[in-house]
Amino acid sequence: MRILVIDDEMPTLKMFVLILNAMGHEVLTAESGEQGLEVLRAEHPPLVLTDIKMPGMDGIEVLQKIKEENQATEVIVITGHGDMDLAIKALNLDATDFINKPVRREALQGALARAEERIQLARSKAAAISIYLREGDAVIAVRGTLSTSSESALKDAFRHAARSRNNIVLDFAENTSINGAAISVLAECVRNARTEGQRIAMVGLSANFRQVFEVMGITRQIAAFASLDDVRF
Amino acid sequence: MILKALARLNLKNKFFISILAVILIISCVIALLARWILVSGLTQELELRGTAVAQSIAARGGTYLLEDNIPELLSLIFDEKQLRERKHLVDYIYVENVDKRVLCHTFTRPFPDELPGTNPLGESEQKSVRLVSLLGHEAYDIAVPVKEGLYRIGTVHVGLSKEHIDSLVAKLRVMFLGFISAVIIITFYISHRLAGYITDPVVRLTRISDDLSRGSFDSSGILDLPDGRWNITDCPAFSDTDMPCWHFDDQRKGEQKRPDDKTLRRCKECVFYRKHEDGDEVATLTDSFRNMVWSIRLYRRRLSESENTYRSLFNSGPDPIFVVDCTTQKVLDANPRAEEVYGFSRNELVGMDFTTLGPVQTRECMMLFEGGGDEAGCVRTPRVVHHRKNGVPMFVNVNACPISYRGRPAIIVAATDVTEVVEKDAQLIQASKMKSLGEMSAGVAHELNQPLNAIRMGSDFLAMSLEQGVTIHPEHFRQVVTEMSAQVDRASGIINTLRSFGRKADLFDEDVNLNATVQAVTSLISRQFLLHQVDIKVDLATELPVITAQDNRLQQVLFNLVTNARDAIIERRKGMEKAARGLIEIRTFVDREHVCLSVSDNGTGIPQHVLEKVFEPFFTTKVTGEGMGLGLAISYGIVRDYKGDIGIRSREGEGTTFTLRFPKA
Repeated sequence: MRILVIDDEMPTLKMFVLILNAMGHEVLTAESGEQGLEVLRAEHPPLVLTDIKMPGMDGIEVLQKIKEENQATEVIVITGHGDMDLAIKALNLDATDFINKPVRREALQGALARAEERIQLARSKAAAISIYLREGDAVIAVRGTLSTSSESALKDAFRHAARSRNNIVLDFAENTSINGAAISVLAECVRNARTEGQRIAMVGLSANFRQVFEVMGITRQIAAFASLDDVRF
Repeated sequence: MILKALARLNLKNKFFISILAVILIISCVIALLARWILVSGLTQELELRGTAVAQSIAARGGTYLLEDNIPELLSLIFDEKQLRERKHLVDYIYVENVDKRVLCHTFTRPFPDELPGTNPLGESEQKSVRLVSLLGHEAYDIAVPVKEGLYRIGTVHVGLSKEHIDSLVAKLRVMFLGFISAVIIITFYISHRLAGYITDPVVRLTRISDDLSRGSFDSSGILDLPDGRWNITDCPAFSDTDMPCWHFDDQRKGEQKRPDDKTLRRCKECVFYRKHEDGDEVATLTDSFRNMVWSIRLYRRRLSESENTYRSLFNSGPDPIFVVDCTTQKVLDANPRAEEVYGFSRNELVGMDFTTLGPVQTRECMMLFEGGGDEAGCVRTPRVVHHRKNGVPMFVNVNACPISYRGRPAIIVAATDVTEVVEKDAQLIQASKMKSLGEMSAGVAHELNQPLNAIRMGSDFLAMSLEQGVTIHPEHFRQVVTEMSAQVDRASGIINTLRSFGRKADLFDEDVNLNATVQAVTSLISRQFLLHQVDIKVDLATELPVITAQDNRLQQVLFNLVTNARDAIIERRKGMEKAARGLIEIRTFVDREHVCLSVSDNGTGIPQHVLEKVFEPFFTTKVTGEGMGLGLAISYGIVRDYKGDIGIRSREGEGTTFTLRFPKA
């Protein structure tokens, strides 16, 4: 896959080139946001990795510009460690994922894998949300990217689950990406269900998004499990 | 010789002796004159009388002589001799004829033989007087011729008793001498009194002067007037030392007077000043002297009061005060507080070399006397290190003023112990530094994350290659390894700068190169500032002279100035649509004797009315909660500690330049 990396740090760029090459990707680099946009326009890589804190045009601006020009381009932002505010801000701007700096190989690989999957999923932006009963629990399976467009589907699913008066299990695919608006919709649905007296569990979802859930206070209301079989209420 | 002896006499005796001598001389002259006139006059008169007697006999006895009527002639001469008081005067009378034969005489005894011929009368002579001696006594023999027509028929001799004349003269002399003596005695008395009268006040004034010289003001008694009309308490300036006395003020005419001087109470007509309207010079002198004594007494009192005030100030002063000899630098005096603070006893302090306590600049000391220093002639040196007896150093602010102490040039050194203030100051600076560090933490975290990220990715790359069993291209391997090690260095560099910035400064000064300070601060912040779209341009002078300061504290100052500049730039952006890039320029340069550091920004600038307030503590233009307003105040304090100053040039809306100037080390 061709990946554009934008970072003002030369050493970081060098390392990205080496490691992404080793992972089998083709790498384009840019040292600033402006330069990044130029490369993007010329080369049209499907995935962009951009640092957020940069002199001149910063990562958020770059993200906005990219999304303005081509909504389909996957953008993974690189944030400072633990800087969830920026991560959420980026997710609100339709970034598909974020990686904390220092960039761990696993996180990078995971993010790249999810992005790749999403790109392969016919680039459909709407998430596939299905709901089924499993051992008396209502399972809401989420696949693809959960964004503003999937708001009504999400709400419908929760309404269904509420009617069934069962416990709810949210089953996320590993490559699921959730943007900022969708997160707040999800949080609202979870809150409503809780007030209805329903218990909610969660399966799957990458560590990144769990972090976001934690920051948003969602993990306090739902228990997370590794797989569907582990779910216990 | 006589004059010398005279000069040794006191005035009274001089007066006395001169008056006496003059009177004596005059008396003697009068006496001699009188004696000469009187005695000779008396003798002449008596001779005339004798002559008259003789002539009367000669006239009347002529016929008896012609007739040779001796008994008549005898009775005539007896009558003449016995007449009234003549009998004492006229000793004898005898008549001779032409042949020198005694015709008759008045001797009651035999005619003395030695008498005839002792006083011969010449042919043509009318009279002859001669002192003759007879019968054991002397007499003036007056011979007068007896004439009948043209012929001389005899001679009448009248003997005047010399004894009688002498007794008359003696009586006269006694009377005269008595009179002269009386005059002398009276003169003696009068001159004595007069001399006394003239000299007594002088003697008294002398005694009083002596008393005054010996410091006794009360025993003089000159102020106790006999009439009791005047009292010490009548003088308002005596009890009220704040009250200006015209004596006093007149002496201060040359000095600068306060403009409201006229409103002060002054004795236009001094209450106590006395002057005789009439009276002699001695009385006037006494009055003047009395006034003088009063003035001296008044000043003395004021002086002693002032001396007491200053002495008590010296003794009770809260700060150690020393009197130090300018040339030998020995301590001449020290107050009790100095003993307390420095731990030496007074006996140890006095005579001690002041340099054992702390530095004393002989040159500056002498300069004080040549009129260096400020208006009062004092020199102030802040933060000097002094040592206590136990060797513990302390910081003092030294205030040195020149005085003349017992006739030697000396300085009064007042040393205020500011150790605590200096320490508090250091704590405050440390606190503000820690606050700055806190503010920086996000930026520093970002900064540290960069090398960590590169290292992490490098190591991940190596690990991944290892796991996948891929041979790494040697060039890539080299790249990774060198980059990783470079990034470790970079990270430790950041940490070092942080630590040196956060380190608590010790209190002693060192040689500082401002360039190093600038580099340390900029390395810490320049990247963060870039993220705020603020460029930092550094323009350092090559071969910059060092200054005496503390790098750590200067870093704090520079950091404060730079963050202020950044805030000003960000503030300016707020109202702008298209944000201009911020620019902070840091320059170091040499300006004559000063090493300068300037920080310019293109931020909001400081309004003119605020400009003079920026160094005030707790003054801030920032929103409540954003700034304490201590930054510039602390910076100003730090710069001042190193004898530097801060200049500001600002234009609202265009930017501000702060210039720090320090003297070369």
